[in-house]
This record gives sequence, structure tokens and C-alpha cells, in this order.
Amino acid sequence: MSRFLDSPTVRSIARVVLATTAALLLGFVITWLVSDDPIGAYKALLLGPVSRLNRFGDWIEESITLTFLGLAVALVFKAEQFSLGQEGQMVLGALVAGVVSLFVPLPAYFRIPLALLAAMTAGFLWGLIPGYLKAYLDANEIVSTLMLNVLAVKFYEYLLTYYIKPPNAGYTTSEKFPVEGVLPSFFPPIPGLENLRRTFVNQTNISVALYLLIVATIVVYYLMYRTPFGYELRMVGANIKFARYGGINTKRVIMLSMAISGILAGLAGAHLAMGIHRKLILNIQYGLGFEGIVVAILARNNPLAIPFTALAYGYLRAGADVMERTSDVSREMVLVIQGVIILLVTAERILPVVQKRVRARRGEDEDGAPPETLPPAPAAAEKGED
Amino acid sequence: MTNNIVEMRNIVKIYPNGVVANDGVNFSVRRGEIHALVGENGAGKSTLMKILYGLERPTSGEIFVKGQPVQFRSPLDAIAMGIGMVHQDFMLVPSFTVAENIVLGMEPTRRGLIDRTEAIRITEELSQRYGLHVQADAVVDSINVGMRQRVEILKVLYRGAEILILDEPTAVLTPQETQDLFRSIRTLVEQGKTVIFITHKLREVKEISDRVTVMRRGKVVGTVLTSEATREELARMMVGREVLLSMDKPPQKRGAPVLRVRNLTYVSETGRTVLKDVTFNVHAGEILGVAGVEGNGQTELVEVLTGLRPATAGQASVEGKEILAATPRAVRQAGVAHIPEDRLNNGLALQATINENLIVDRYYRPPFRKGLFIDQQVVVEQGERLIREFDIRTPSGQVPVSSLSGGNMQKVIVAREFSAEPKLLIAAQPTRGIDVGATEFVRQQLVQKRTEGTAVLLVSADLAEVMSLSDRIIVMYEGEITGVFPDAAAVTEEELGLYMLGIKRMTMEEMEAVL
Ligand SMILES: Nc1ncnc2c1ncn2[C@@H]1O[C@H](COP(=O)(O)OP(=O)(O)OP(=O)(O)O)[C@@H](O)[C@H]1O
Ligand SMILES: [Mg+2]
Repeated sequence: MSRFLDSPTVRSIARVVLATTAALLLGFVITWLVSDDPIGAYKALLLGPVSRLNRFGDWIEESITLTFLGLAVALVFKAEQFSLGQEGQMVLGALVAGVVSLFVPLPAYFRIPLALLAAMTAGFLWGLIPGYLKAYLDANEIVSTLMLNVLAVKFYEYLLTYYIKPPNAGYTTSEKFPVEGVLPSFFPPIPGLENLRRTFVNQTNISVALYLLIVATIVVYYLMYRTPFGYELRMVGANIKFARYGGINTKRVIMLSMAISGILAGLAGAHLAMGIHRKLILNIQYGLGFEGIVVAILARNNPLAIPFTALAYGYLRAGADVMERTSDVSREMVLVIQGVIILLVTAERILPVVQKRVRARRGEDEDGAPPETLPPAPAAAEKGED
Repeated sequence: MTNNIVEMRNIVKIYPNGVVANDGVNFSVRRGEIHALVGENGAGKSTLMKILYGLERPTSGEIFVKGQPVQFRSPLDAIAMGIGMVHQDFMLVPSFTVAENIVLGMEPTRRGLIDRTEAIRITEELSQRYGLHVQADAVVDSINVGMRQRVEILKVLYRGAEILILDEPTAVLTPQETQDLFRSIRTLVEQGKTVIFITHKLREVKEISDRVTVMRRGKVVGTVLTSEATREELARMMVGREVLLSMDKPPQKRGAPVLRVRNLTYVSETGRTVLKDVTFNVHAGEILGVAGVEGNGQTELVEVLTGLRPATAGQASVEGKEILAATPRAVRQAGVAHIPEDRLNNGLALQATINENLIVDRYYRPPFRKGLFIDQQVVVEQGERLIREFDIRTPSGQVPVSSLSGGNMQKVIVAREFSAEPKLLIAAQPTRGIDVGATEFVRQQLVQKRTEGTAVLLVSADLAEVMSLSDRIIVMYEGEITGVFPDAAAVTEEELGLYMLGIKRMTMEEMEAVL
């Protein structure tokens, strides 16, 4: 049991649950102050995402995107590279995936993998650029990635407006993707369950990206903790001088960490285009640009925790959507709640310090902390070694 | 009892990871004395002092300061009781000036703003009073370790400390700086302060302290008057067995040159010529000692040879393989292992586990690499083996290096570099900060490697170490080799000193024959 509680994955999840609870309480206080029907409004926030199947779908779809983005961020952050380029990589991923889906006349089982591959490649290349600039020309990655984001978004808008949009369309969107270019439903056609499947297919866009996500999470975990490259990545993050002294090619690691992170952001883009919207629209990245950072920080860059923090955070975002649509409280309030969560969870020191104080008061009982407190979270919590 | 300014009774400290660092420790210090605290790496000295300073809380036990029972919640409480501590690893803000660091947290203010002039005045006054020379307006980043340490001490004094805890203050100092520090410590005691002093160097214990407490494996072995104990006795109390304070070396079997360095020159980014036309060989089966006052190019020599700094001119090769233009990995692949001088910055990744630290030079090749993956089992097995062989005190190889005591951190590096089976071993300050037992161990290992035919380049600020281990000695002064002594046993400390200070130097002709 205590081994279980000590595992870093469990710890990061527990930390998130606790922080979220505290934040939600505060959120309710605020709702109560601003709303005429605080109970109803808050119910919409808390239960909205599971109140109807289509809302449930929105939540899961959003969480899938957030997971890919979170994995992308965790990977670079683990190497202590503060790339903020996920937005640009995602937009280009969506763009190339969309182009393949729309215009490459291949059957679905060729077209879809090709589109995904194209998105991954686009993300990779769009990460390679700032990686190269940082590693070999010492250009600050925060600045370069933010600039590349703008470039990518403008390029996307340009192509969409002048080349992809049908000339007679009223809105700036592409044609709907043909079925050969849309990610199929996650629900396999099981005999006997056709009706249930149809309900899901009609009301949600939850696609096979769900499985892709599981694979991606495991791959990223193994990459980070079991491969030579992952070792290099973590050592560069832990102490770059040590990495260099030990013979690691730190420039290559810096460059590749950003590029490989781009692959995952590219997949997030493909999922947006081929899974959720099923066409290319303006502002396809709307509101997602930096959300991967939140997810990764909540999970303390532990890839195995990321799907869960993405689900938790996605739930909050989806709930906020419902609340906004069905009550008198504005979406701005959720920003407050998000702020509180990020503050609570990222202020790394706060929780362990509080625990230490509590424990000291109770007389230095170092082990066997009762279940309502969390085990201390030293730097080792980030190691993710099982 | 009444003249005990500090009294710690039955202190037990169990860290969250289960390590019992203090196991029923009784420790007392008299007002106005210099009290040395010695013991093996991981004996629990720093832990005991962190408890006294309020940084760690004891699991059980009582503390009395000036006869009063106290329970410190944080260092602030300890400071209020007149206790100050200078840590083993410095904790200054590098981008602040000396004066700013000293007043940090208790800044003199004028109209709500920090009064910098006043800070500088305070610093200079303190510096005068205690004979601790510092440059008040220099940025900490730009000053040397000796001065950094004086800054730490002044900082503590500024907070009104009467009891000063110095955790291994001399580990990073040159012999000259150590003497300066001792002079300041004596001044402090004359002015009524009490000093607790942790060190691994028994010579220093004899020189500076009034009484000495020896710890071993979390317990106090005894407290004795320094004048009544010999170094050998203290060493035996620390380790629990006889310790060889001097080395016996089997006769040398010198082989062919392994490392050849020719006209090596290094000009720093700031345009200073740090190494000038350095030429020497290190042969298989010999320890070549580099003597010199720190800062005469030894650090740069090692870094250039290991691929960490680009040379400006010259050649260097290991068994014929050119290493100057090579990457650190290529240098290692040519058969070079390197114990770096600055272990916290270069030698280790503190948040990474011991096992991870032990594979940084070998993770990419079999048996560590298997197919696409690193074979965890091989990593863990090697970790267990090296922890056993090198007697690293730790519950397992899976804990972060940051939880080890200072000396055990050094053992992790030594374990990795020695087990790399190098042709050339470059050891920079290999015994800095490690206890007598471990020092003996490292020295024996160095000699054994040499006897087995490894070429060893030893750089050490500890002159006694260079003299007792080396077969041949070169002296570096201002980036040049100014003297070569082909028979290390035949040279005296005074003679070396003259060369180290640049008072004497040999001519090229004199040296050529023996380089
Ligand atoms: N923060 C920590 N968490 C867990 N274990 C620790 C921690 N700090 C120290 N230890 C362990 O406690 C023991 C005593 O460590 P301590 O630092 O007090 O030794 P020390 O006598 O100062 O040794 P050294 O001479 O090497 O500095 C060691 O086994 C060390 O690994
Ligand atoms: Mg210590």
C-alpha cells in the first residue's frame, strides 16, 4: 500500500485531485457571489460534461487533444527546453492532415495513416527549426517558438483562405472531409451493439484517436525512461554540464527533444482536423495554444499521468462550456478556477511544506501518513521510475 | 554543564527514506571553544548540525542552548538564539554583490528601499572587525571560493551569530586560504564567539581545535581534548580500524607514454593566456602529479584534455589518438576517464538516481544497451556491484544522488570513472571532501590502477597528496610548467613551494630530459 502511494504516478494524480477540489470550492464561492442561481450554475459546471452524451463526447474529444499536447510539452520540458511551439506545430499538423484527407485520392486505410504521418512530419520539422536554432546558434527557444507559432497560423490562414476554401463558400472553411479522410469511431462494429454504436457515432466524434493516444502515452513513457535517447534527454534536463562531461551530444539532444515533441503536437492537430471538426476551419487551434503546458505541469511531466490530468482539465473546460451556455455565469470565471489550480499545483513547495508542518505537529511520524494527506513529494517524484 | 553553550541530548534523526542519520547522539560545546566534529562520510555530521540550525527537525531528542531548552521550527529560530551556519555547499545569490548577499533578508532600508551605501558600509565594518577580507561591491559570481566563504561567514555574523557552525569550510580552499581562515577563526574566538568546525583533515583538527568529537554511523564515538589525541588515534576512532595515513607504493613498472601533450596553449574567451606551451608525457604505470597553487591553469589543462574546452594550439594524444579536437565522448572512447574537480556541477546530476549517474559514459553500448532499450537489469546490477565495491552508503541505487552525504557523492563519481577501465585516468582533486577511510581507499585504488599499468594524471591542491602518490611531479605556475621532478620521493615540500610560488624555475634544457 505504501509502495503504491509512493509511486510518482499515484502521487501526481493525488496532487491534482486535491488541488482541484480546493480550487472548485473557491470556484463555488465565486459563483455564489456572481450568480442568481449559484447551485444550478455550479451543477452545470460540475455535472455538465456527463449530463448528455454529446457533452460527454466533447469532453473526451477535448481531452484527447490535450493529452497529445501535454505529452509534447512534457517531453521538451523534461529536457529543460521551454519550447512553446505546440500551437504552430499543431496548426501545421492540422493543415497537412487536412490536405491529405481532402485531396489525396486513396482508400481510407491508406489515406488516414498517410495523413497522420504527414501531420507528424510537419510537427517534427516545425520543432526541428527552433531546436536547431537553440542548439547551434544559441537562440532562445521561447522567443523563436512564439514567432514560429505566428508564422504557422498565418500560413494556415493564407492557404485556407486562398487555396483550400471552395471559391463559392460563404465561410472560410474547407469542404467537409470525405469519409476516407475522417478518423473512424472508436466504437468497433460489434454484432449486437449496432444501436449503441450508432448512438455514439451520431452524437459524438470520439474516434480511434483514443487508441492512438494510449499508444502514444506508452511510447512516450518508454522513450523517456527506457531508451538511450530518453536517458540523454533526462540528463540534459537534470544537469546539462554533467551530460556534456559524460559524453552526451547535448546539442543533438536539445534539437531532437523539440522535434520529437513536435510529432505529438502534430498529432494533436491531425486529431483536431480529422477527428473533431472534420474540415479545416479558421482558428482551429482556438484556446488550445498553451493548454498542453497546463496539462504537463499538472502531471509534473510524467507521461503516464498526462492522460489523467488531461481528462481532469478537459472536464473543467467542458464543464465551463456547459455552464456558460446554460447559466448566467460567464466563461471568464473558469479562468479564475484554472488560475487557482495552476497556482496550487505548480507551487511545488506548498504542499510538501504543509505536510511537513502537519506531520511535525503530530510528532514526526514520517511514514504511514493518514489517507487524507499526501506523501511528501521530493524531486524524486519527477523521476517516474517505477 | 553551565559553561556548555550548546547541549544536544539523545538526538535521533530518521530521514523519510528510512536512513537513520543520527542515532542517539549526545553532543555539547563549551562557550568560547573551537570544537571540531569529524567522522566518516555519511556519519551524520551535517545532519546533526542542520538540526542544531533548525533546518531539519530531530525525530526525537532535546536541545539546550545557553541552558535553555529549545525547539527550532526553522533556521530563523536558531538565528534568534545566536546560531549561524555556513553550509558545505554555498548558498549565495550569484548575481548579487557581496554586500547585497550579506544583508539579504535583513536589508538596511531608507524610505522603504534598500540602502546600498549602508549595506556596503556594514560589510566593510564587519570585514574589518573580524579580519575577513572581502570586496563589498563585487558580484558574487566573479569572486573566488575563498572569498565566497568569507562572505558566507560574514553573512552569519551580520545576523548576530555567537555560535558559528562551519561545515567543511576548508574542503574547497587552498592551503594558503585555509591559513587565512584559521587566523579569522582565532580572531572570532578571541571576540567571544564559539565555533563548531567540521572537517576530514586531521591535520587541521590538530591545528585549530580545542576539543574534537568523533562520529561513526550516526553515533558519537567520543569527545576528546585535541591535545591528548594523535591523528592516528582519531582516524581509528572514525573508521573503527587502523588507517594508513601514508601510502606504501609497490615499485614502479613504467611503460610507454600513454598521454603525449605537445606545446599545448589555451587562451580564454577573455583573451588571457591560461596555458602556455605545455609539454609533457604520462607513461603507462605512472602517476604524474601536477603541483601548483590553484588557479595556475590546472583546471583548464584538465578540461582541455577531456574535450570540455577547445585548445587554442598544440597537440595531445592518447596512445596515438588525437584528443584535442575530439568531443568528450570521443575522448572517453580513446580510453580517458575523468574525475572532475567540481563534482556538483560537472560530475553528477543531483536529481538523477545513483544508478543513472553511474552509466553516463556507457549507457549507449552493450551490455547496457540492448536493442532499442537500456537494460534496466544490467543497470541495477552494476549499481549494486559498484555501491558494494566502493562502499557507497545508501539504501539503494534508486535514490537520487542529492540525498547522499558529500563524501558519498564523490564515491559515486570515483566508482564510475574507475570502473570505466581507462588507459589514462585524469583525477582532479579526487579526495576533496571525503573522509580518511575513503581517502585511503581512493588513494589505494589510484596506486593500484597505476601498478596495473594505467597512466594517471593527478591534479591536487593537497601538496601532501601529490607528494605521497606521484612517481613524477610537474609544477605549474601561471600556465607554464616551471619544474619537473623525476623522482617524487626525492623532493621536499619547501623545494616544491619555491616553484609553486614562481620564485624558482627550471630552464627548458633542464626539463627536457625528464619530461
Ligand atoms: N535529505 C536527506 N534525505 C535522505 N537521506 C539523507 C538526507 N541527507 C542526508 N541523508 C543521509 O543521512 C546520512 C548522514 O548524512 P550527512 O550528510 O549528515 O553525513 P555527513 O557526516 O555530513 O557526511 P559527509 O562527510 O560526507 O558530508 C547519509 O547516509 C545520507 O545519505
Ligand atoms: Mg556533510
